[in-house]
Amino acid sequence: MKWTLLAIVAVLAVALSVVLGPAAVPLGELLRSDIVWNLRAPRALLAFLVGGSLGVAGAGLQALVRNPLADPFLLGLSGGAGLGAVIAIALHLSGPWALPIAAFIGALAALGLVYRLGLIGGASLDPRILLLGGVAIGAFAAAITTAIVSLADAAELRNAFLWLWGGLSGASWDSVLLVALYAPIPLVVLLAASRPLDLLALGEESAQYLGADVERVKRRVYLAASLLTAVAVAVSGVIGFVGLVVPHMARLTWGHRHRSLLPAAFLGGGALLAFADTLARTVVAPRELPVGVVTALIGVPVFAFLLKRWTIA
Amino acid sequence: MLRRLSVVVLVLFACHTSARRHENPPAQRIVSLLPSFTELLFAIGAGDRVVGRTQWCDYPPAALSIPSVGDGLPPNIEAVMARRPDLVVLYNAGPNVTAAKQLERAGIQTVLIDVNRLEDLGPATRTLGRLTGREEQAESLAIALDSLAGRPPPPATTSLAFVVWDNPPIIIGHGSYLDQLATQAGARNVFGDIAAPSAQVSLETIVARDPQWIAVLSDSAVPPAFAKRREWRAVRAVRAGHFLLLPGSLFGRPGPRSGNAIQQLRLRLNRNGVGAQHAAPLHGTPSR
Repeated sequence: MKWTLLAIVAVLAVALSVVLGPAAVPLGELLRSDIVWNLRAPRALLAFLVGGSLGVAGAGLQALVRNPLADPFLLGLSGGAGLGAVIAIALHLSGPWALPIAAFIGALAALGLVYRLGLIGGASLDPRILLLGGVAIGAFAAAITTAIVSLADAAELRNAFLWLWGGLSGASWDSVLLVALYAPIPLVVLLAASRPLDLLALGEESAQYLGADVERVKRRVYLAASLLTAVAVAVSGVIGFVGLVVPHMARLTWGHRHRSLLPAAFLGGGALLAFADTLARTVVAPRELPVGVVTALIGVPVFAFLLKRWTIA
Repeated sequence: MLRRLSVVVLVLFACHTSARRHENPPAQRIVSLLPSFTELLFAIGAGDRVVGRTQWCDYPPAALSIPSVGDGLPPNIEAVMARRPDLVVLYNAGPNVTAAKQLERAGIQTVLIDVNRLEDLGPATRTLGRLTGREEQAESLAIALDSLAGRPPPPATTSLAFVVWDNPPIIIGHGSYLDQLATQAGARNVFGDIAAPSAQVSLETIVARDPQWIAVLSDSAVPPAFAKRREWRAVRAVRAGHFLLLPGSLFGRPGPRSGNAIQQLRLRLNRNGVGAQHAAPLHGTPSR
């Protein structure tokens, strides 16, 4: 029952996103409209895929670091992606995909550095150090980014920040195809780690006793969640709160078993972002709101409500 | 705000009403912190008294030999003071108000001037004329600029959208100088209904409003990178390669050359319009 309901919500969110938009397209011409085919449909699907990926990445990371505040962008990836994008602009790299590729490389570089820091205490990946390292690397990358922006001449550099918070304006069938081919790999890796992730909630030692290969699971979950986030930031910039709030909402209904929690977080995250993007495109039309503003406006009240429930319980 | 206003009001008051012996003598060492001001100062014959400029001040060519004090926003106070100015001209915006106060405290006369739209140019020119003792030259230029701003626009024969940034798409609205340039050149800004100087819009809005031209401030002769992006090719003008690539030095700033900019834009719209009808799409044309 609850699965049916979630599936209906997800389909509805995507359908709404295709039907509604700032340009008036009559319902009868929906299937023949260029705007719908080339702009709205890929944008709705990209929103769904990115939102779902962020939801799953958030759920995986929260289990890994055993911290309910973990957000996919807490691990320094947004800082790395921003630095990559700014370097691409400063070096005048041209080509339609220069920015997304540079941002992806920047995110991967940050990922590598944070991962290396996480191993600093020896062969065992320390989740606490992952979090601290992520914050530190993110701040460091952001500082270099700001230095480049304030020192370089190019006026367009200031727009790099716009791109980083850009949302889904860059959606096309190319980016949908890219994410649709790429995301399933880390998604399957995370889903395959469901059982050990359940055990990890009991603490690393207990999980080890119960038969989980804790070291391997931690590495896989960290890398898979980060790779999901890296592609999300490359195609749509930093979109906050989806990866933080959706896992908590999913846990309320689906509990702590990751085999059902992760798919629920995917559908929920996808639906939330598709819905938020529809609002971003339509409420102030012909102008548009940054989608991160909308996810925060929806996400924060929900989060506050959840916090209240926790403290009462 | 009040204090910013009072600085200007004081200057105006001093120039308008007090006897000549009470007002500041004409400025001899001026630092200009906006390309528009540098161009205006040269145009009223006070260019030889400009001792500092921003790195963006590239016109007239003689301005390039004046030492630069940086990018000007916010101004580097020490670099400005090192030029030992007796007058600093600043664009009226947030960080500059603080900078002006700091300079005033150091005993340097400052003036904050608005130059956001065509109608600001006349008053700005007169203010600069008074401060430099070039009232007559300033008045004749100001009259020309005022008539430019007050001229009823020609009927629009074509339409365009100014794209400032592609992802997310940021366009120019009614409140901007560029909107005035387009209108005066006989083109309708398809986002003229947006009151703000610039705004983020959805790509599908650009598709739906279907401008004949995509105008971009660019010193390059090739269309911007987003022209090749798949989602942008949903815009008819992008598919047709109808880009107007406008060099920022002439088109990006209000100033004494605004009339020239309008004329150039009109020429390009007409020439490209004819070309586009008869031959392969043109990718804008280099400036003459």
